[in-house]
Amino acid sequence: MNLLTLQRYKNELILLLTLLFAIGAFFYKFSANSEVQKNKTIIEKKIDEINTIEKYKKQWASKGVANKIKIFKTIVSASKIKKFSKQSSKVTLSYKNLSARELNKIINKLLNLPIQIINLKIKESSKNQFTMEFTCKW
Amino acid sequence: MNLTAKSDNKLLIHKNMNPVTELKNSIDIILTPQFYTFVQEDLDLKFTYQAKQIAPSIFDDYLDNTNDYQYYVYKCDNLWCFLAYNINEIDKFLESVGIEKHRVSKIYFTQQLADQLTEPLFIDERSLLKTIDGVVTIVPRYLMDSTVEYQPFNSSSFSLKSGGVTMGSSLDSFISLKESLLLGTIFLILGAIFIVEGNRVKNSMNKQVIELENLLAKHSKYSTSFARESILSKYRPIDKKERAKRNAIKEISKLLSKKSHLKLLEINKNKVSASITTDNQTINKQVKEHAKAKLFKTSGSSLDVKVEKTL
Repeated sequence: MNLLTLQRYKNELILLLTLLFAIGAFFYKFSANSEVQKNKTIIEKKIDEINTIEKYKKQWASKGVANKIKIFKTIVSASKIKKFSKQSSKVTLSYKNLSARELNKIINKLLNLPIQIINLKIKESSKNQFTMEFTCKW
Repeated sequence: MNLTAKSDNKLLIHKNMNPVTELKNSIDIILTPQFYTFVQEDLDLKFTYQAKQIAPSIFDDYLDNTNDYQYYVYKCDNLWCFLAYNINEIDKFLESVGIEKHRVSKIYFTQQLADQLTEPLFIDERSLLKTIDGVVTIVPRYLMDSTVEYQPFNSSSFSLKSGGVTMGSSLDSFISLKESLLLGTIFLILGAIFIVEGNRVKNSMNKQVIELENLLAKHSKYSTSFARESILSKYRPIDKKERAKRNAIKEISKLLSKKSHLKLLEINKNKVSASITTDNQTINKQVKEHAKAKLFKTSGSSLDVKVEKTL
C-alpha cells in the first residue's frame, strides 16, 4: 500500500480513523465507568464501615454512661430501691412497690440509655404495684 | 502521510491526447468539454446543495440517462453553472491513455478557466480550446485563422481556484470528502465527549477518596478490613439485639390499656415475653390479634394472654 492508494481512499481513512478514535474513547469511558463503579463500591463500603463503627462505639461504648446510670438511684424514692449494685461497667437494680407511673418512668429512662439490657423482669406484685429487676452493662 | 496534499501536476485531458507514460506521482486533471456537458442557469437559489439537488433535472433535455452522470455545481457571477460528467466514461478513457485512476487527485473542468482563457489554445492538430460567450468550447482548427500559430495549453499559466471534484468521491469512495469530514467531525466530537465524560467520572471519585483518607487518618486502627470486620462483628449483634428488645417492649406497651394489664414482663438473652390479663374475651381477642400482627407468639387461656418473641 503506497501513499497514493492511501490518498485514493482518504475519505474512508478519515472516517475509519475518527471512528476508531470514537470507539477507543467510548471504551475509555466505559472502562473508567466500570473502574469507578468498582472502586466506588469498595470506598463507600469502607467509609460506611468506619462510620458505622464510630456510631456503634458512640452508642454502645459511650464513656458517660456510668454517670447517667446514677439516675436510677434517684428516679424514685430510695425506699423503693431494693438493690443497687454497680460493678465496673455493669449495674444490677431491683425496685419494689412501683406505681404504674413510676414503672413507666424507669422503663422510658432504661430504653433511652445506650446500655445493654442483660435481663429484665417486671412483675405485678399487687394491683397497680410492681416489682422490677434488671441488669445492664455498657 | 499527507492525505490532503495537492499535486502541482495538472494534465489537460482530451480525446486525441497521447498516452501518458511513466506517471509516478498523483496528478490533477482538467477535462475538456469532450467529457462534460455544461449548462448555465439563472436560478433563485441560495445554496450550492440546493443547486446540486436539482442538477439532474437541469440536464433532462441534454442527456439521455441522467442517472449515469455526476454533477458539479458552482456559482458563476450571478448565475449557476452546472456540469454533468460520467465518471465511468472518464475512468475508461483515462485507463486507455495509461492514467491509473488512483493517480488522479482532483478533476477540474476547462469551463472553470473560462475567465482566463482569453486566447484560443492549441490542443491537437485538429482542434483548439476557445471561450465563446463565456463557454469554453472545442473549436475545429479549420474554422480558425490558419496563419496564426496558436499556443499550446499550459496548465501552469492558469490558476484553478478552489473547487473541482476528487476522483475518489466520484468513483472509488463510498463516501464523499464532505460527508467523511462531517462524519469524522461527529466521531471526533463524540470521542472528545467520551474522553471528557470518562475523566469526569474518574474525578468524581476524588471526593470519596478524600473522605476516606481523612477518616483513615483520624482512625488509623480501622485501616484494615480485618480490624473493621472484627469491631463490627462485636457491635453489630449488640445493636441488633438491643434495638429488638426496645422495640419489643414498645410493642408490648401498645397492647396494654385500661382493660388489659401487664402481669409479667421478662427479657433475657434471647427472648422477650409478657403476660397480660384482659377484662373480657373481646379485649383478649384484640390483644392476641394485635400481638400476632406484631409477630409475637401468643398463647394463654381464659382472660390471660402470653406473648413472646425470640430475639
